[in-house]
Amino acid sequence: MKKRVLTVLLAGLITTQAYAADSIKIALTGPFSGGSAPMGASMRDGAKIAIAEINAAGGIKVGAKMMKFEVLERDDEAKNERGALIAQELASMSDLAGVIGTVNTGVCLAGDKHYQEKGITKIITPAAGSASMTQWSKAKVKDLSIFRLAAHDGIQAAMVVEEAINRKFTKVAMLYDSTNYGVSGRDDMVEQVKKQGNKLQVVTSDKFNIGDKDMTAQLLRAKNAGAQAVLIWGIGPELAAVANGMAKIGLKAPLIGGWTLSMSNFIDNSGKNGNGTLMPQTFIEEPITPKAKAFIAAYHKAYNVKRIPSPVSAAQGYDAVFIFAAAVKQAQSTDTKKIKLALEDLKEPVQGVITTWKKPFTAWNPANEETHEAFRREQVVMGMVQDGHVIFGNDADRKRLISNATSVKGKK
Amino acid sequence: MDHAVIQLIVSGALMGLVYALVAYGFQLTYATSKSINFGQGELVMLSAFVSLTLTNTGLPYYLMIPGGLLFGVIAGLFVERAGVRLALEQKSEGWILMTIILGLFGISAAENIWGRDDRPFPTPIPTEPIQFFGVSITPLEISVAVGVVLIMVVIELFKRKTLLGKAFEAVSADRDAAELMGISATRTIMLSYGLSGLVAALAGILVSPITTVGPTMASALVLKAFSVAVVAGLESGFGVVIVGLFLGSLESLTSFYVGSGWREAPGLVLLILALAIRPTGIFGKAVIRKV
Repeated sequence: MKKRVLTVLLAGLITTQAYAADSIKIALTGPFSGGSAPMGASMRDGAKIAIAEINAAGGIKVGAKMMKFEVLERDDEAKNERGALIAQELASMSDLAGVIGTVNTGVCLAGDKHYQEKGITKIITPAAGSASMTQWSKAKVKDLSIFRLAAHDGIQAAMVVEEAINRKFTKVAMLYDSTNYGVSGRDDMVEQVKKQGNKLQVVTSDKFNIGDKDMTAQLLRAKNAGAQAVLIWGIGPELAAVANGMAKIGLKAPLIGGWTLSMSNFIDNSGKNGNGTLMPQTFIEEPITPKAKAFIAAYHKAYNVKRIPSPVSAAQGYDAVFIFAAAVKQAQSTDTKKIKLALEDLKEPVQGVITTWKKPFTAWNPANEETHEAFRREQVVMGMVQDGHVIFGNDADRKRLISNATSVKGKK
Repeated sequence: MDHAVIQLIVSGALMGLVYALVAYGFQLTYATSKSINFGQGELVMLSAFVSLTLTNTGLPYYLMIPGGLLFGVIAGLFVERAGVRLALEQKSEGWILMTIILGLFGISAAENIWGRDDRPFPTPIPTEPIQFFGVSITPLEISVAVGVVLIMVVIELFKRKTLLGKAFEAVSADRDAAELMGISATRTIMLSYGLSGLVAALAGILVSPITTVGPTMASALVLKAFSVAVVAGLESGFGVVIVGLFLGSLESLTSFYVGSGWREAPGLVLLILALAIRPTGIFGKAVIRKV
C-alpha cells in the first residue's frame, strides 16, 4: 500500500513540476505524525482529493492559461515551535498563493503572525479554538489575511447546551480537563447556559488532569447529584476514561461535548461505552448527498481505508481547497493578496461537500471575527457515536442536509 | 457507610495496588543494591507496547503474557548492565542520572516506533461491571488486584524460602560479607533488576486495558509509586501494598469530598510528613550506622 501511495505521490510530483511555471503554489500544513495526526492527515488527504479533482479537470483558467495546483506539505507535528518555523519558511516564499491547514490552536498562535506580516492568505482548518481568530480582533488589526473554515468553540458550546435543553434535560454535570482548552470550553458552556435562559441546572462542575484514568470520584458526584447528562470538554484518551467510568458506576446519561469526541482515540478506547455520545460535527461520513457519496468513495479508494480517521477534517480540507480555487478564479491571479480580496467577496457560490458556500467570508472587521469565519450554526450538525462510527445524532439534521442539497440542484 | 464511599474506596484502592506494584519494583532493586531504576515507569510502558505488538501479531492473550514478561526481564537486565553496574562498582551515584536517561531514551524510542497516540489494549477479561453489595467492580479490575497480590506473594516467598532468595537478604545486609560467604553480589543485583523488570512488565500488561497504552502512560503512575515507596520505606515489600491501598483510597475520597482539583494533594502531604517525621518510611527499619 505504501508503495502505491508513493507512486501516486511521485506521479503527482512529476506532473506538477512540468507545470511549475504556470502553477498555483499552495501549502498544506498540520500534524501528519503524532497524536493529532488523525486530524492533520485527514485534512491534508481531503485537500489533496480536491486538488487532484481540479487538476484532473485541467486546472483553473487564469487569464489565457490553465493553471494547476502545486502542493507543498509541511508537518508541524502539533508542536508550536515547529509550526512557527514552518510559517516563517512559507511566508518568505514570494510565489506562494496561500496556505491551508493547522490543527492545533497553539500552532496558530505561534505561527500565523508570520503569514499576517507578509500578507499571505491562509485558511485555518480544522483548528477550532476561539483564540486563533480572537487574537486578531483583540489586537485590532485593520487588515487580516487569515481566514477560518472550522466550527469554532463558541458555536460548539452553544450547540452542546442547546442539545441538552432539546433533550429535555434539566440537571447536567460539567466535566473538563485542566488545560486551557478544557477550562475555556467550560467557560463557554457556562456562558451559554445563561444565554439560553438558565434552563439547565449545573449540579456539579469538576475537572480532571491529562493522563487521569480513574474518574470515579467526579462521576459519583455527578450521579449522586442526579445529573441527566454530562457536558464535557477535553481530549480523546481522558474522554474515553470518562465514558468507561460512567459504564462502570452505572451512570446512564449521555456524554455531550466538543468535536474531540469524534476523534478515533476516543471512539476506539471507549468501545461500546462510547455509544450515544453527542458532539457537533461539520461532516458525517454518511453518503446522504451525491457529493458526499462521491467524496467518501474517493477518500476510501485513494487511501485504502474503510473509515476516514477524521471525517470533519477531511471534508473541511476538501472544501477549503474549492473555496480557495474559487478565489483564484475570481481574482484571475495567483497573487496571494489578490486572492485574499477575492475571498472576502466571493461572487459565485462554491459547491463543497459540507454545504454550498455562499459568501463564506466578508471584509475583515476587527469588531467581529465572524467576518473571517466561514461556519455559522446552521452548517453544523450533531453527530453521535454508534459502534465505532459517527452518525447523525438527530434525524432532523440528516433530512435538512438532504433537502438543502436537492433544493440547490433544483435551482440549477 | 453508604455505597458511594465503598465504591470510592474500592476504585481508589485498585489504583493504589497498581502504584504498589510499581513501587515494589523500586523496592526490589533497592533491597540488594541501594539503587533504584528511575526509568521504572518507562519499563512499564515499553513492556506494555511490546505486549500490545505481540497481541497484534495474533498471539493469544495467555501466550502473550510470558512474551511480555520475558521482555521486561531482559529490559531490567539491560538497565542494570548499561546504567547501574559500573556506577555501583565505583561507588558513585551515576546510576541516578543513567537510569533517568535510559528512561527518556525509552520514551523517544516508543514515540518513534509506535507513535504518540494512546491505543486500546485488547483483553479477553470481561469489562462488564458486576455488583457486590451495591458496589460495581469489573472482572478486569479484579484481575489486576489478583495479579498484583499474586506476583508479590510469589516473589516474597522466593526471597524468604529459597537459598537464592536468601542471597538477596545477605547482599542487602552486607555486600562485602556476602561476597566473602561466596555469594556473588553482582549476580544477585542482576537478579533483582531482572525481577524488577518482570514486575514492571506485569504492571504494564495488567493496567493497560484500563489506562490504554501510550508513551507517557506511566509518567503520572511512577510519581505516585515513588511516593508510596518512600512513605512505606524502601525495605518492606508488604509495606508498599498497605501504603498503596491507603494512598489510592485517600486520593479517591479527597477528589469526591474536597474537590477534583485536590486529588494529588494527600499523596504529597503524606510524602512530606513521612520525610519530616520518619525518613526511613513507616515500615522501614531504622539504620544504625557503625562509625
